[in-house]
Amino acid sequence: MGKSDFDNANPTVLSVSQLPSRTQAKGHVRKGPDSKYDHILFPKQWWAGSSLNSDPSVWTSDEDEDEDLTLATEEPIDEQEIYDLLSKISDPEHPVTLGQIAVVRLDDIHLSPSPGERSDPNSLVNVEVDLTPTVNHCSLATVIGLAVRVRLENALPPNYRIIVRMKDGSHAQDDQVNKQLGDKERVAAALENDTLKGIISKMLETCV
Amino acid sequence: MATETSTPATATTAEITPLPAFSPDLYQRAWASIPHPTLPLIATCHAHSVTIFSLSTLSKHSVLSGGHTRSVRTAAWQPPRGGKNPSKETKRLRLVTGSFDTTAGVWTWDQGRREERLEREVRLQSGQEDTKEEEEEEDEWELTLVLEGHENEVKSVSYSPSGQYLATCSRDKSVWIWEDVGNPNPSEEDEEVDEDEWETVAVLQEHDGDVKAVAWCPDVPGRKSKYAPARRYGDDVLASASYDNTVRLWREDGDGEWVCVAVLEGHEGTVWGVSWEQKPREGDRFPRLLSWGADERIRVWSLKEPEEEEEHQGGEGGGNNPWGFGVPNTMRRSLKEEWECTAVLPKVHKGDVYSVAWSNETGLLASVGSDGVLALYQETTKAEEDVEMTNGDAPTTPSAGGWKVLTTVKSAHGPYEINHITWCKRYDAGSERKSEEEMLVTTGDDGVVKPWQVRIQ
Repeated sequence: MGKSDFDNANPTVLSVSQLPSRTQAKGHVRKGPDSKYDHILFPKQWWAGSSLNSDPSVWTSDEDEDEDLTLATEEPIDEQEIYDLLSKISDPEHPVTLGQIAVVRLDDIHLSPSPGERSDPNSLVNVEVDLTPTVNHCSLATVIGLAVRVRLENALPPNYRIIVRMKDGSHAQDDQVNKQLGDKERVAAALENDTLKGIISKMLETCV
Repeated sequence: MATETSTPATATTAEITPLPAFSPDLYQRAWASIPHPTLPLIATCHAHSVTIFSLSTLSKHSVLSGGHTRSVRTAAWQPPRGGKNPSKETKRLRLVTGSFDTTAGVWTWDQGRREERLEREVRLQSGQEDTKEEEEEEDEWELTLVLEGHENEVKSVSYSPSGQYLATCSRDKSVWIWEDVGNPNPSEEDEEVDEDEWETVAVLQEHDGDVKAVAWCPDVPGRKSKYAPARRYGDDVLASASYDNTVRLWREDGDGEWVCVAVLEGHEGTVWGVSWEQKPREGDRFPRLLSWGADERIRVWSLKEPEEEEEHQGGEGGGNNPWGFGVPNTMRRSLKEEWECTAVLPKVHKGDVYSVAWSNETGLLASVGSDGVLALYQETTKAEEDVEMTNGDAPTTPSAGGWKVLTTVKSAHGPYEINHITWCKRYDAGSERKSEEEMLVTTGDDGVVKPWQVRIQ
């Protein structure tokens, strides 16, 4: 901290214990008979995580192959689960996570239809994530948004439609950034840019 | 509303049923599948390559790979030469690819050379064993030229109807027009002079955002009819769609300068694509244009009839314009065309509309988008509209602007987004009218290329 060349030299950092989390212990994966054949019933899962990238190792590396698989087969995904996927992404500038500097906030994650109302695995679920960047810096906001989108696209089943936006008024060029992040073609092209890919994979390294 | 009274369609119901998907699955996002204008081939762009499928066998015909370092976004077949006479058709195939690596690639498949090689192999095999068969399979397509110039990803490529021009567009906000100077008489078969030589004839930079798509007006009678704009410019018309929410139309002004003749404004988001009406219109009226985009809408645009335009043709003076708004220098008064939005299709999609296909046989429209829905629309006749007006019951299908929804298919690619749709002819064994019956082909993020049978009653 304190380096003057940061755009925001002194962000508010929350301690990990202050971050929202589930009250019950996490990580209990149900392995009942219901989920026994899920790898057959949802055969596309395995590659959905790499659909944006011809080199899957960049994104899924050693980490959460198993986690990705079980997401779809557990109980319905809720806002807390989305938050958990995103909060551990590193800030591109500071050695803190997006959760710690409240760029990602549980209250700004919305799922529709809500978890209880879903049935058909083909029916679409919208995930809306409003980000609150700490700085008024366009390219950084775009990079953070891109990392959030990549993280969710890799982790969520293919019927999830991801909408990543800058929270109203939190960023000077909201519309411009939002439009870029919503443009599938631009996102796909950006992820073929080695420099950007490097920055994002570094940001995602902490998502274990 | 300029409703086409010529539409013969009295179809009331339509049924879309899936046919077996092309094999193999590509298992990665596929962006688009472009059918050859006359041959039973369709080219699917995915990752850094293009897979050509045979429409007869519904399986892989050949692959173009190794030419691009980033994703191939789109492709265009060179229009067949020798006009409509298939016997004069060249044995040479050409496909142009547009890639995120900023280039467009010109690929050539030389059937003549392939046959020579086969003959040679047969001769060799009669004498000694030959094991080269396997490797030659992949060698059939040759990247013969790379068109460089764009600063960012190339998003779309399009051949003019005669094959004389190629248009490319990019995230760098520009549209480039290239002329095939190695092939001076594209309408005549003369392979001796057919060389890969292209010249840049225009760089159009009036869009304020990525140019997402380009499309040339087809060579239908209406293009040169009495309704077409004054003779002094060339017949070719190019449409471009952009991230700046507009569509622009471009023409050559007779002095070799390409100028913007119209700006079509109405979409409230990125315009993902444009498509011209292929089916000739009654009275040889000028073809209409479709545009669609991120605002979930599909719009139909029509050229204003010349007699209407005449009323506005007051002072032919240069800087003085009667509407009181600024007209850029490049849109000189005399070149401006009046286009108006004559229909907005009934809203079906919840999310970006990525692709719409306009049948040149039936005039039906089909659309796909991020919501995974495939929708089929038909233009309503005047009579039908009157019936709906007087009928007390609410119409069973949503209707707006002279078009109605015939049917929709939900989750057409399961939970995946659908990036492209096209009409093409059926050549597979299941068709009762091979090379005549039309089908739809959709291309999705699941890497599946799916044909669909369309039955209308």
